[in-house]
Amino acid sequence: MKHLGIHSQSYYDILEVSPQAPLQEIHRAYQRARVAYSPDSPALYTMFTPEEAKELLRLVEEAFTVLGHEERRRAYDEQLLREKAMRELPDFPDPQQDEELSSERPLQGQPETHREAPQTAPAFVFAREPQLPQGHARTRLSTYPLNSEMEEEIKQTREFNGPTLQKIRSYKRISVDQICDETRIGKSYLVALEKDDFESLPAAVFVRGFVVQVARLLGLDEKLVADSYMKNFKKYKN
Amino acid sequence: MWIENTQYDFSYLRGYKQPASVLIAVGGGKGGVGKSFFSSSLALLLAHRGFDTILADLDLGAANLHTYLGEKIEGKGINEYLLNPGLRFEEVIRPTPYANLRFVSGASEGHNISGLTQPQRSRLMSALFNTPADFVVMDLSAGAHDTTLDFFLMANRKVLVMTPEPSSMENAYSFMKAVFYRKLKRHEAQLGLTDQLAQLMAQRQELGIRTPADLLQWVALKEPRGGAQLKHFMQALKFEIVLNQTRSMHDNELGPSVKAVCKKYFGTPCELLGHLDYDNAVWQALRKRRPLLIDYPQSRLYSQLFAISKEFANVPFKRAVV
Repeated sequence: MKHLGIHSQSYYDILEVSPQAPLQEIHRAYQRARVAYSPDSPALYTMFTPEEAKELLRLVEEAFTVLGHEERRRAYDEQLLREKAMRELPDFPDPQQDEELSSERPLQGQPETHREAPQTAPAFVFAREPQLPQGHARTRLSTYPLNSEMEEEIKQTREFNGPTLQKIRSYKRISVDQICDETRIGKSYLVALEKDDFESLPAAVFVRGFVVQVARLLGLDEKLVADSYMKNFKKYKN
Repeated sequence: MWIENTQYDFSYLRGYKQPASVLIAVGGGKGGVGKSFFSSSLALLLAHRGFDTILADLDLGAANLHTYLGEKIEGKGINEYLLNPGLRFEEVIRPTPYANLRFVSGASEGHNISGLTQPQRSRLMSALFNTPADFVVMDLSAGAHDTTLDFFLMANRKVLVMTPEPSSMENAYSFMKAVFYRKLKRHEAQLGLTDQLAQLMAQRQELGIRTPADLLQWVALKEPRGGAQLKHFMQALKFEIVLNQTRSMHDNELGPSVKAVCKKYFGTPCELLGHLDYDNAVWQALRKRRPLLIDYPQSRLYSQLFAISKEFANVPFKRAVV
């Protein structure tokens, strides 16, 4: 069953870019969409409920995760082309099903759309309702087995420094390269960040931005992490 | 989709004929957001560019467009046109001190936008539709009365003026919804989709139809041919948004957001024409009863309006996207 409404739109439609758009344009469209559907956006007033806006925002994030990455985007384009080719096949009724077709279809319930897409969707395209193996959790970049001790420890932590972040990162099975790809922060900075090597890091404003982005990818409270990390950083600089 | 590569003849449907000019409607729900200011400035700028422009005040009952132009209420206006069936529309179009700009006054004590009878409305609409000119700019009234919606839908270019305040956005959105459903209502009868749409609306909770875009998609599924045709018609409904009285960078970012939200909600095209900064010069000019563009040609507002007027002036002539 295919979803209708917003879920039937392609990632390009969601971000409102053309399929030929270069990467910078997709970046810009992503930033625009994040502003437009953010929970406190005045533009949403009386048009979409907060829940709908949240769903839209999730789709925007999902679209950017695919389109903002060269490899994934190429595979996604191929999938779109395949689906398009399937849709444009001439629609000859199967003689055996003729009888079934001529009988009237009930109007209630979900109607069928065009033919189903081939069931060979590449693994990275997110399922609409994610199915996780038992005892696993998901971040935007990875799936990892849950460890209740570790989860508890993360919840209790109030002071975050480089090694803590590194520990959480390896627990969540995210590599430095993945963060690097996703955030476009230089790898050397990420390494320095995790080693608390404040000497190699740039000015405080930039570091704060890095920490916020890393925290977001790790699924941590951005403000808490950034505040505690920056406290250490400023102590060192003074 | 069948409609993409086949040229179908829709001439049997109402609203197919092209007007004798490029009709620009300026609406926007709430009062005081700058509809009259924008339409008078736009008409003046188009006239400056050398286009034969007519500015029509359709805010019947609360007409004040002449004040923006520094004109006096005298001579015949729409009021007289509606009262005398023998009067031709050309006789109520009067010249202004500005080159290429003509003006139709709406000032009256007798008529109210909601008090127009059906024949009066049709006669006025045909007159506006058939008046030869390069541009006819229609300043509409606040609110979403049927007559206002019809004038708005008649135009080739449908401009919405809104300000960044939530109350103005709310009214603009409800105006857009009213326009959308009025157009839908007209076409559903033409295409014989009335029953289908009523059925869908009755089950919209179960089917999860939350926005007009969803509704169009469902119609296309249930009635492929009529649905595609309906979608084709609704695609012609293109809102063009002007964000007025912006005061900060933050307000300017609102424009693209509004555009994105409208596109997602209605599933029809939507353009952002630009934003106009808040400027005290507007009311200073109004106090002096002189058009802002004449008195303050160096203002930032002038350049913003100028850029917007270019959007209109550059359309392939008399073949504007409807």
